[in-house]
Amino acid sequence: MSIAVSRPLLGLGGTRSLVPLGRIAVGIAAIVLWQLASNAMGSDWLPGPAAVLARIWQLTASGELARDTAVTFWEAAAGMVLGGATGALLPFILRLSPRLMTALDPLISAGFGLPKLALAPLFILWFGIGITTKVVFVASIVFFLMFYNALAGILSVDPRLIAMLRVSGASEWVVSREVVWNTAKPFLFSGLKIALPRALSGAVVGEFIAADSGLGWYIQNERSLNDVTGVVAGVVIVTVLVIAVNAVLQRIQARSLSWRPVAKDMTM
Amino acid sequence: MNARGIVDRIIVLVLVIAGWELCSLYFGTIWFSSPLRVFNRFGAEIRSGDLFFQASYTLRAALYGSLLGGIPAALLPFALRRHPIAGAILDPYFVGGYGAPKLALAPLFILWFGVDLEPKVALVASIVSFLVFFSTTAGVNAVNAQYVSVARVFGASERDIARHIVWPGAIPYAFAGFRVAAPYAIGAAVVGELISSNRGLGFMIQSGATDFDTTLMFVSLVTLTVIVVVVNYLIGRCERWLLRWRPPTQRLTSRVVGT
Amino acid sequence: MNPACPMLEVKGLAKRFPPRSGQALSPWVLADLSFHVAEQEFLTMVGPSGAGKSTLLNIIAQVDGASAGEIFFRGKVIETANGAALQPGWNCQIGYVTQDDNLLPWRTLYENVTLPLKLQGRFDAAGKARVDELLGATNLTGFERYYPHEMSGGMRKRAALIRTLAYDPPIILMDEPFGAVDAQTRTQLQQDLLRLWYRGGKTIVFVTHDIGEAIALGDRVLVLSKSPAKVIAAHKIDIKRPRDLGNVYRLEGFGDMFEAVRRDIQ
Repeated sequence: MSIAVSRPLLGLGGTRSLVPLGRIAVGIAAIVLWQLASNAMGSDWLPGPAAVLARIWQLTASGELARDTAVTFWEAAAGMVLGGATGALLPFILRLSPRLMTALDPLISAGFGLPKLALAPLFILWFGIGITTKVVFVASIVFFLMFYNALAGILSVDPRLIAMLRVSGASEWVVSREVVWNTAKPFLFSGLKIALPRALSGAVVGEFIAADSGLGWYIQNERSLNDVTGVVAGVVIVTVLVIAVNAVLQRIQARSLSWRPVAKDMTM
Repeated sequence: MNARGIVDRIIVLVLVIAGWELCSLYFGTIWFSSPLRVFNRFGAEIRSGDLFFQASYTLRAALYGSLLGGIPAALLPFALRRHPIAGAILDPYFVGGYGAPKLALAPLFILWFGVDLEPKVALVASIVSFLVFFSTTAGVNAVNAQYVSVARVFGASERDIARHIVWPGAIPYAFAGFRVAAPYAIGAAVVGELISSNRGLGFMIQSGATDFDTTLMFVSLVTLTVIVVVVNYLIGRCERWLLRWRPPTQRLTSRVVGT
Repeated sequence: MNPACPMLEVKGLAKRFPPRSGQALSPWVLADLSFHVAEQEFLTMVGPSGAGKSTLLNIIAQVDGASAGEIFFRGKVIETANGAALQPGWNCQIGYVTQDDNLLPWRTLYENVTLPLKLQGRFDAAGKARVDELLGATNLTGFERYYPHEMSGGMRKRAALIRTLAYDPPIILMDEPFGAVDAQTRTQLQQDLLRLWYRGGKTIVFVTHDIGEAIALGDRVLVLSKSPAKVIAAHKIDIKRPRDLGNVYRLEGFGDMFEAVRRDIQ
């Protein structure tokens, strides 16, 4: 037994209700401060929460919000499928030839090194400012994410399990399916969970650079019109969307708890 | 790494360049440029000093932003450690802020701060701060409670404990946070430049796109990649030197996590 | 100071940990535990694993608080269960050598050993001399610049030991310090400890699960029961000092003592 003793915080009963109350208090205080700051600096520079909410309401009523959100979501989803499938599949194939993996290693490192966001103008040059560009862009981001996660999963396979199966006469295919796939699964799901919000923000950023629809386009458009309320409204919508998607995915992951201790999400 | 491995890699490199050349011949150099052209242009840009000028602009934005965002973010967990209730209250806000896409703020920052270095610095700071904060918090939480108890027994004050036990224990994590954040920092600076700038590697890419000058675009892309790889390597060396007291198996993973 | 007054006295000590959420109350770990330690005595305590030996030492060292009972140090009350703030180490009078060596991995051997002295503001010429002497006594001279991960388990244990000895607390608690090393290293460490105890005139409370070790080292051995722990037997160990630890099993009186203690534990 160790010498470490966890000291109970103050009096146990008092602290438990303090924290949620404190959180609500902080939230309210933040909104109040926001409004005060807006009054102080002028709503041309910092629109207050009321003005932003009004604008969001306006966008919802006119249907613009729905339309732009749909576009962005579609780009993100398509990109995820394209990038995710290829990114996740490749390590399984590469696994069969360790020689190929070492040979490709510097290429892979370079791929990680390049900020994929810098590829946007190139994609625009190749594919125009339509939806295809954004899909490819999102795909390139998701590809590397899923590749990394799938690779981590495959590398974490316990070679002793494989040896044990081989000894009992299993074929390579069975070994792959049983051990490699199951070991890699939690990593894949973890990767997907991280990828979706990234895909969304990737789509938005792609739209910043060139687009004619979508949430990112909306934000940029408002900026060019110097309409700060619109910009803030757009940013708030995107933020809330991504946080919500994140929260939903967290719930799903928590419920389908793996029996294996999943590597901590330090891979962000 | 054995000779065969090296040969394999050279073969891969040659294949990639050859493949690139073929694509440019088949599709036309407008779309792909060609290895030779990029190579020559690379030399020209270096000699004229232009590449250095643009790259330093981007790096400055990334560096200033990393320091502006990273240093307070690295110090905050130590303060929160003394006030765990405050930490518990603020936790969902930190997590929410972490999940929120900071890059979406780029146009807002440009609107507020103009088109020069400032909005890029702000963007980089907002991204780096969260990464470093969470890494450092993990480090502060990972402090071995036994060390703290033992130190209390031989007379260490709270201050001594913070200075001699928590701080050295958490530094590797803070450093890892900076190392992981570096490629994001550079990427954020580039995004800021892509949206609105007249300088920097992002600007180079963008202006190359407007002029249909793919060669220039590739030059900047290659430069960016090299920079990120080199920065990652340098920070890694720094980290290893700072942490020479660590037993070799404990080194935190050094793989770059890219976007 | 009254020579008849024990150095450390524990009276009716009891401890239970705060219940986990959902439970009503957690079981007692220690209950009605009483014993005393005389000046310069080497007291060993033996009991089954998980009996709460570490908890007991944690409470004496004031790393953790008691649920009931009192502790006296040289006649003065230092601990009651009244919720008063704990003073770990009781102002550096009570030393504590834990099971894990707990050396700070980012400090060299020398920096680790001198840290308590530095923090207490006592790292003067006399302090330095003490440290060098202790390093010599434990064969650690020459290793001052080594980091903990570069030293063997036995070396780290020695380092942890002299880290406490360096600042000279009159009483030292030891929690199975030699558990995780091989038998030969352990004998060596035990000999070092006895030698340092002799010369320094210290009082030592040494907890172990190894009956042989308890008998070989101690002036007196206390036997603890299973949870909730209390002292169920005390034996004075009459084996003459200095004891040949390499051959302790053959010493006169050892066999009988061993049997007696083993029966108590049953």
